[in-house]
Amino acid sequence: MKISRRDFLRYCGISAAALGLNGTDLMKLYEALATTSGPKVLWLVGSACTGCSVSFLNHISPKSPASAADLLINNVNLTYHPSLMATAGQEAAAIAEQAATDGGYILVVEGGVPTAFGGGACLAWTYNGADVTFQQAVTKLAAKASLIVCAGNCSAFGGIPAAYPNETGVKSVKDVTGKTTINIAGCPPHPDWLVWAISQILVKNTITVDSLGRPTYLFSKSVHDSCPRKGKSPARTYAQEGGCLKELGCQGPKTKANCSILKWNNGVSWCIDANAPCIGCTNPDFPAANLMKGGKV
Amino acid sequence: MKTKRPEEVSKSTSMRITIDPVTRLEGHLKVEVTVDNTGGVQQVTDAKVSGTLYRGFEKLLPGRNPLDAIHITQRICGVCPVAHSLAATMALENAAGVMIPDNARIMRNLVLGSNFIQSHVLHFYHLTLPDFVKGPDMPPWQPSWSRDRRFDGAATDKFVNNYVKALDIRRMAHEMGAVFGGRMPHPPAYVPGGFTEVPTSTQMSQFKTYLNGILSFINNAYIPDVEKIAAVYSDYYTMGSGSGTLMAYGVFDLNSVGNNMLLKRGIMMKGANSATPVDVGAITEHVKYSWYSDSTDGLGPAAGSTMAQYPKTGAYSWLKAPRYFGEPVEVGPLARMWVNGDYRNGVSAMDRHRARSYETRKIAQAMQTWVNQIIPGKPVFNQFSLPPVKEVFALTEAPRGALGHWVEITNGKISQYQIITPTCWNASPRDQAGTPGPMEQALIGTPVENINEPVEVMRVIHSFDPCLSCAVHVISPGKATVIKSGFCKA
Repeated sequence: MKISRRDFLRYCGISAAALGLNGTDLMKLYEALATTSGPKVLWLVGSACTGCSVSFLNHISPKSPASAADLLINNVNLTYHPSLMATAGQEAAAIAEQAATDGGYILVVEGGVPTAFGGGACLAWTYNGADVTFQQAVTKLAAKASLIVCAGNCSAFGGIPAAYPNETGVKSVKDVTGKTTINIAGCPPHPDWLVWAISQILVKNTITVDSLGRPTYLFSKSVHDSCPRKGKSPARTYAQEGGCLKELGCQGPKTKANCSILKWNNGVSWCIDANAPCIGCTNPDFPAANLMKGGKV
Repeated sequence: MKTKRPEEVSKSTSMRITIDPVTRLEGHLKVEVTVDNTGGVQQVTDAKVSGTLYRGFEKLLPGRNPLDAIHITQRICGVCPVAHSLAATMALENAAGVMIPDNARIMRNLVLGSNFIQSHVLHFYHLTLPDFVKGPDMPPWQPSWSRDRRFDGAATDKFVNNYVKALDIRRMAHEMGAVFGGRMPHPPAYVPGGFTEVPTSTQMSQFKTYLNGILSFINNAYIPDVEKIAAVYSDYYTMGSGSGTLMAYGVFDLNSVGNNMLLKRGIMMKGANSATPVDVGAITEHVKYSWYSDSTDGLGPAAGSTMAQYPKTGAYSWLKAPRYFGEPVEVGPLARMWVNGDYRNGVSAMDRHRARSYETRKIAQAMQTWVNQIIPGKPVFNQFSLPPVKEVFALTEAPRGALGHWVEITNGKISQYQIITPTCWNASPRDQAGTPGPMEQALIGTPVENINEPVEVMRVIHSFDPCLSCAVHVISPGKATVIKSGFCKA
């Protein structure tokens, strides 16, 4: 646990281009990490599957030992994360409640915000004997956050739980709080996308976003644009190596993401490499109808 | 919104403790226990376990292309998505009447096995260990409850080192799964009729390299670390015994016919000496203490409606209470290992951890054999055709226990989709008869030395590895007639 900060810096140096960091950024990053214990981060989980957290933990640079855990745990102060923090109950709730009073933290939200049933479809914690709904928690913490990062489609757009008929009235963080959010789309988001966003925040770079709040650096080109199977003859059935997957319902052409460049899980594979069509998981309307085709229905 | 129960509050010596959030698990769990002095020991005399998230998955699936279920149900749980993907795929295969090639069966097992490993390792080191061992002096390990830590500094350092190492191991387990699965979590490669990935010898080698490193960690760190905890906290062999009935649906098909699995199907009724076949028709559900309309209470397998009602007097959970012949049932690694005859030391908080670690080794060792059974060039997919109307179901195991998907297809679309997740069994609230769920029963009788830091309660809860993301809520498993459809493989 001792050299993780250095690991992180080494990782950022090696991966500077991929992370969109130039020499000045790296200097600022060194300074930021040399002079502070790191910004306080609160990571809330709402109407979610925890898949964004799990994906985040999968981050690794192939050329460095630096990992997402190193970044989160050693380069920021992760004061609240329900799946990782040691304490529980009132003491855990008090950390979040106190932060909401103090302000000055980065708020990461994973999961949508249910608004039906008075917010009762998702309870965040009990504080001083009273239930606090996730809607109340997000509203309170968003108010004094220095920045809000939405990890994944549920917090960014509503995602799966907001799909028709949206019985629990799930809304995005932006729709519930009225605040601007940096939307790291994906179901789940690629770990490098989240690491990129946090790196940019650490060096105080302005993150340019599209009309959907997604960083243009990550989400300006479609999966199809740089797909190695672009222009190949179409596969008509599953388990066909090398063919374009549009006949099987591939949503790569209308889906903004750089999966074809990054690949997934330490570059091991990605959906198209496994002959599986892109299901459009960074799109605001995910899960759209007919996520894939094939077989006669 | 807080429910007061005057009959408890009025007891002069009893105290009520609320733990919310129960941290270090997936999803949202709240636990309320009543602590009283009984026989000279301050202990839990009553417990209420509340699932505090409802997403309504079975409401958003009807009307959709049946294939969508493979992707959407994975998103029930980011920690065990593969099991949902497999269950949905198997159900649709049952509808289509299609068999799968051996290569596909093997790759499915390998991807699912990879996820079992990452889930079990994550559970012990990152979700459980902080209940026993002090972490580094920084968030998120501090603040923490410091009570009843029994290891010295040197031993603690070793645990913490393995905690960090385990982060790498669980990541590597996901990378291993992605070799054939495409990506993790939420792999896209499961399709009716087989698998999308076409395996190569290079991938087989890559997979084996990952597996060797991971198995080494299981043998040299994970199992020894569990044994160390078990030896020093041996009092936890007498805590958290639960409901006593243990059920497994079985998982990891060893042939294409589907009549032989690495982890067998069966149920050990409370007090029984051997496992008996699972009768899926014996499952009923109760909602008296759940935030659903009482009009659906006590309905048997033919029930179909889920009507959320929040708030509701007396209710305290978004989970329904599934029962087997009216009995609460524990599912998970301990249940699987008991049913399989691999571990029958006992049923307790500590036995759950040990059984989970042995299961991890058993699966990893089996995977070493399976990966060599892949034959590159042989088929991985058989074309399928879904019928316009069909009722089907499939049973499998998630890392946390028995998982069932029930699907009804009408006019080529999903008309009903029902899921029973493992944590619905384990973390269920009381049923119609007032019988507490398995975790609630496990908590009752647990000594609590200090009500300000009830670490004993956390230890018992964590031994179940509750996954509240997964616990959509239990819903009725469709019409009993589907049981005759031939998909009950064991």
